[in-house]
Amino acid sequence: MNLITSIFNKGIETSGIERKRISIPSDIPFSPEVIEKLGVDYFHTARGRAIPFGTGLKLGNPDLRVMPVTGDLMTLGGNHFVHGVRRNMELLVICVNNFIYKKIDGKTAPSTANKFSPYSTFEEPFNFPHLGNSCGAVYTARWTALHAEELAASIAEAITKPGLAVIEIIAPGPNYYTDIDDIDENLLKFYFDNSIIKNDTNPREVGITPEDKIIVGRFTDKKRPTFIDVYNVQLGKTIGEKFTPYGVTQTEKKKSGGSDGGN
Amino acid sequence: MKADPKGVLTGSHNLSGNQACAEGALAAGCRFLGLYPIMPALEVSERFLERAPRVGATFIQMEDEISALAAVLGASWTGKRSMTVTSGPGLSLMMEHLGLGVMLETPCVIIDIQSVGPGLGLPTRAAQGDIMQSRWGSHGDYEIVVFAPSSPQEMFDYVIKAFNLSERYRIPVAVMSDAYLARLQENVVIPPAEEIDIEPRRYFKGETDKYLPFKRDKDFVPPMVKIGDGYRFHVTGLTHDDRGYPIMNEECQEYNVHPLVKKIRDYTDEIIEVQETGIDDAEVVIISYGTTARAALKAMEQARSAGIKVGSLKLATVWPFPEKRIFELAKKVKAFIVPEMNFGQLVFEVERCSIGKANVLFISHGEKGVENIDDILSAIRQTQQMNEVKKCIIELKKGV
Repeated sequence: MNLITSIFNKGIETSGIERKRISIPSDIPFSPEVIEKLGVDYFHTARGRAIPFGTGLKLGNPDLRVMPVTGDLMTLGGNHFVHGVRRNMELLVICVNNFIYKKIDGKTAPSTANKFSPYSTFEEPFNFPHLGNSCGAVYTARWTALHAEELAASIAEAITKPGLAVIEIIAPGPNYYTDIDDIDENLLKFYFDNSIIKNDTNPREVGITPEDKIIVGRFTDKKRPTFIDVYNVQLGKTIGEKFTPYGVTQTEKKKSGGSDGGN
Repeated sequence: MKADPKGVLTGSHNLSGNQACAEGALAAGCRFLGLYPIMPALEVSERFLERAPRVGATFIQMEDEISALAAVLGASWTGKRSMTVTSGPGLSLMMEHLGLGVMLETPCVIIDIQSVGPGLGLPTRAAQGDIMQSRWGSHGDYEIVVFAPSSPQEMFDYVIKAFNLSERYRIPVAVMSDAYLARLQENVVIPPAEEIDIEPRRYFKGETDKYLPFKRDKDFVPPMVKIGDGYRFHVTGLTHDDRGYPIMNEECQEYNVHPLVKKIRDYTDEIIEVQETGIDDAEVVIISYGTTARAALKAMEQARSAGIKVGSLKLATVWPFPEKRIFELAKKVKAFIVPEMNFGQLVFEVERCSIGKANVLFISHGEKGVENIDDILSAIRQTQQMNEVKKCIIELKKGV
């Protein structure tokens, strides 16, 4: 996990966004000392609920950049993910896919591919980039934790996207208060060695199977009006001139011109 | 602090309970509503949504009640007063985040318009079946404040109080209405903004690097900060220390969770609000809350005019429960009558606090309509024939 947070650190630095404006709602406990060094506000919320919590943060203060980091994304958070993407709230959803719930050793997750679980599972795994893309995510990517540079660049790119971006990180499961020594380095390397970079692949074709190599890269990058854009357009239509658009005073939108959507 | 005039619709209006609820929230400075639509709570969101853009409030319809309350907790940390509105099935889903709200000490208000359960029940019929769930529904130890209004005017007033207490103690506060009050239209007087007292959020005023999210003041309530102001804080729903860092041991559990209970238990005298009528000479006291109190007061008046000394104790706050007051009364009176629109929930609390010193009669009220008082009157008559204290709850038999 330290590895991933150090990549976050680099990504945030590259993006040039003020750290105090970034907040991370998460459903996995990070080492707090590491989070402190990131210089962001951090919420460890209920299992799988990082996206709705982040939705509240973003809508409460549209000036924030919210980065939900989730572990129970497709189990407890499955419906939140689907609706979050559809709604297109400006969030950067980071899914740490460790194929198994490492903390409760051996239990399988919905993304588990057959060979990766010690006891094997007979259920089909999820394909996050495809699911995200088909629900309307503006950005999808997948990297392993050892693709440090690519992943950092991807975070820097996605965090400024107007809309919901999804980045899947393939990494071995963390233990609480873990440091890098606790991570199964062989597994980390195994994922890296068994991956192949194929940018702009159709997300439909990037499902993970035990037989094939893990396809990593950036798969989706498109534009779509965000929730707040549509909210303002719709309320403006109904209420008329008296309506003051919500959350458009934010500095970033002016810079990137991202609020043009919805018109 | 006084209310923001933008949200206050000063004047005398004919409002339903649900509309009064939305007005109360806006007057109290609520600027975020996260919801999932459910009968019979729809008019609250309808009114709120209609007024929100003009007041500068915002709203979102989430995918379920779980995420509705999650979004409310998030919005509350951005400095906005936030609330959600639901009914029984939604409240069941919210229990997870109610507990998280308690642990993260996040001020917010939950409006529950009760209808009959269990399961999906009968969404248009009034009930008071969620009253124990509101207190005990989430896992672990916590204390909560719950209001039960009985008229649209009280709805307006109590929603403001609910927001104030949630900020004062940094807890989720619930207001339990029901499907009857939801539609009941009455006159509601909304005072000018400068007459509405608002409890401001307690903000941390030190330097940004000195902030500890759970460092408590003397009254066990830690000051808050707004997210995005550069305080770089860490909060977690796990057992945590002052820094908000998870610490996995017994000492920290005690250090963390005991104050969550104490910050309410030590201040119950400030929080509890009851309205007493004709208690001084009463032999029989009707204990009621919510819309049932309307019938209780009517029944009391009729019994008084027939020469029976009946008093009424109406609970404005159901939780924390007014234990001391009921214990005092139990020593003086012959019997308590507890009408509830359920099959017995708060009556057990009354029995607990009267510790065998007074008879406790339970009435499952509401079958013939909320304001029908026949069952309460027959209970009053029954108390007149009682000579000894029965050490159990006496349930009123139908047709007595």
